[in-house]
Amino acid sequence: MTTSAPTPTAPTPATTSALQDFFELDALYTSEERLIRDSVREFVRGEILPEIGEWWQEGRFPADLPQKFGALGMLGVTIPEEYGGAGASATAYGLLNREIEYGDSGMRSFVSVQSSLVMYPIFAYGREALKREWLPRLASAEAIGCFGLTEPDAGSDPGNMRTRCRRVGDEWVLNGVKRWITSGSTAHVAVVWARDESEGTVRGFLVETDAGGFSALDIKTKASMRASVTSELYLDDVIVPEASRLEVQGLRGPLSCLNQARYGIAWGVLGAGFACLEEAAAYVEDRPVFGMPLAGKQLVQASLADMFSDLTKGSLLAYHLGRLKEQGKDTPARVSMAKRDNVRAALRAARAARDLLGGNGITTEYGAIRHMLNLETVSTYEGTDTVHTLVLGREITGHNAF
Amino acid sequence: MKIVTILKQVPDAEARVRSKDGTLDLSGATFVIDGMDEYGVEEALRIREGGADAEIVALAFGPKRTAEAIRTALAMGVDRAVHVLGDEPLDALATARVLAPLVRDEGADLVFVGGKQADWDSAALGPALAEALGWPHSDWTTSLTLGDGALEVIHDVDDGSETLTLPLPAVVTTQQGLNEPRYPTLPNIMKAKRKTLDTRALDEVAAAAGVSATSTTELRSAVIESRARRNVMIEGDAASAAAELVRRLRDEAKVL
Ligand SMILES: Cc1cc2nc3c(=O)[nH]c(=O)nc-3n(C[C@H](O)[C@H](O)[C@H](O)COP(=O)(O)OP(=O)(O)OC[C@H]3O[C@@H](n4cnc5c(N)ncnc54)[C@H](O)[C@@H]3O)c2cc1C
Repeated sequence: MTTSAPTPTAPTPATTSALQDFFELDALYTSEERLIRDSVREFVRGEILPEIGEWWQEGRFPADLPQKFGALGMLGVTIPEEYGGAGASATAYGLLNREIEYGDSGMRSFVSVQSSLVMYPIFAYGREALKREWLPRLASAEAIGCFGLTEPDAGSDPGNMRTRCRRVGDEWVLNGVKRWITSGSTAHVAVVWARDESEGTVRGFLVETDAGGFSALDIKTKASMRASVTSELYLDDVIVPEASRLEVQGLRGPLSCLNQARYGIAWGVLGAGFACLEEAAAYVEDRPVFGMPLAGKQLVQASLADMFSDLTKGSLLAYHLGRLKEQGKDTPARVSMAKRDNVRAALRAARAARDLLGGNGITTEYGAIRHMLNLETVSTYEGTDTVHTLVLGREITGHNAF
Repeated sequence: MKIVTILKQVPDAEARVRSKDGTLDLSGATFVIDGMDEYGVEEALRIREGGADAEIVALAFGPKRTAEAIRTALAMGVDRAVHVLGDEPLDALATARVLAPLVRDEGADLVFVGGKQADWDSAALGPALAEALGWPHSDWTTSLTLGDGALEVIHDVDDGSETLTLPLPAVVTTQQGLNEPRYPTLPNIMKAKRKTLDTRALDEVAAAAGVSATSTTELRSAVIESRARRNVMIEGDAASAAAELVRRLRDEAKVL
């Protein structure tokens, strides 16, 4: 018997969509949810991916992008149609986040803030006139919003905030500083949280940023989220009418908004993670080392397999959390688990992809390092990894270890 | 007036398909509305936005999943849709025979067909449909102006372009450059849920019209060209390795 060398056949790697949907979640989405995902995916391919490396490098969030998001109806999608939203499901909102963050976490941050942190509190806690006035304008991006909770000395413990509000007749007077505020200097309205000087409770206000005493300055030295605006807000005797006060009291107000945004992040980071996996899988196929493509090396495959598993499990978690949310069962602890673990999965995937790309992996010609650095912010904002760990610890033990 | 746009669902251009046992394995491929059909949908919408009082109806033949492509068109702004449901593919002539009576029943004044179907790379459906209807036809159309009972079109020919006037009703097949199709907006995707999608079985449609829904062409086998990597390492010092590389590129790969 003679043995002949096997004829070389082209390896048949998994398709992109097979990688992104290994457990066939696709079939579980409604056709509207799939269409929304596909439309946003097309948009990201056409409008974001070709430019994002440059925007990030230049530290620029393009000024015309919000209007493009608005024209497609991507802002406040879960808000009912009568207020300018799409009336879409929580799962659709999740898919939208995932597609946008496939492009860049900074782009997704813009959409999260506008949708979950500005439109949501107006919708949930604003009076009817306030909703009618602002929601349609925020949906179209005619107006941009920001959310001011964090302060220079109050991040993980927002209860320690120093910003104050004081009622004077039919108006409120606000004083304080907010830091790390996404879209801060470009916003027309800011949702600002402040402690009532006389009653001690936390209150929320919709502040028009052209009000006297309001100013914003950008934070310029970021090595993460470079294609996103992050600012410091200064409120110096800013007058806000009672009609612009949100009807909610205590930290429950801002935390309920964060629960919406964190849910979106649990989905969003999967986009960044899969972008890294796809990029790495394609790269190792094309990169020969020691006589064969890197893709044929066991340790390289081990690295890809970890990314693939982590992100696939994260997708299942996000999907199920979405369906729970649609039934009102998105408890903060569940959201904490999904935010924490999916960010971890995406961050690990980004770091692994960065590594597999070798020297090329440190340039913004590729997405890996940009995603990796962006995800450092995502791990910190909307509750740090540690904060969510403490939430889960409290869930198990009942002890508050903050 | 009434405009009918013909739709086909095809594998996404970025999808990787495999061939297996002489047929295509499409599992794992994502399907989308054919890009050339999108030009037709977009043009119909622009005619209406330009002031024409037009109802726009999408008409598609294909398996169940085709409904997703139809939903995309409804989300872009098409008013309603008819889906002729059939699991096995039909060739262009048979598809045209089945769709022509439906186009006529709709009382269409203008029909858009994608210039070329991305899956089989065939440009036959538009002309075949025009033939089945006995209507004038413009292929590879890059520009279109609606006049009174007639249509002025510019279309590509081998050496340049031609300007034609077609009396209505007419069939127009699209060419890249006709327009830039819009993304379906999210609110419109949600509203499309409330639009009518009328699904009819292929057999019933064919029987009612007294036409044959059988393809004339028979698909014998399908093979996908795959290029295997050879992973050749050329030995030797730099000068002789370079010479060997040039020789291979010139004599074997024939790229020099
Ligand atoms: C790019 C960017 C955009 C942002 N956008 C917004 C925005 O739009 N609006 C807004 O309000 N905020 C925003 N933030 C702020 C963000 O939410 C905060 O940075 C975050 O909450 C962490 O707060 P901090 O930075 O004060 O860190 P700290 O709270 O000081 O935390 C520092 C470290 O201490 C750890 N830590 C905290 N508490 C404990 C504990 N009990 N036990 C052990 N370790 C602990 C943390 O996990 C962390 O590792 C943004 C931040 C960034 C970077």
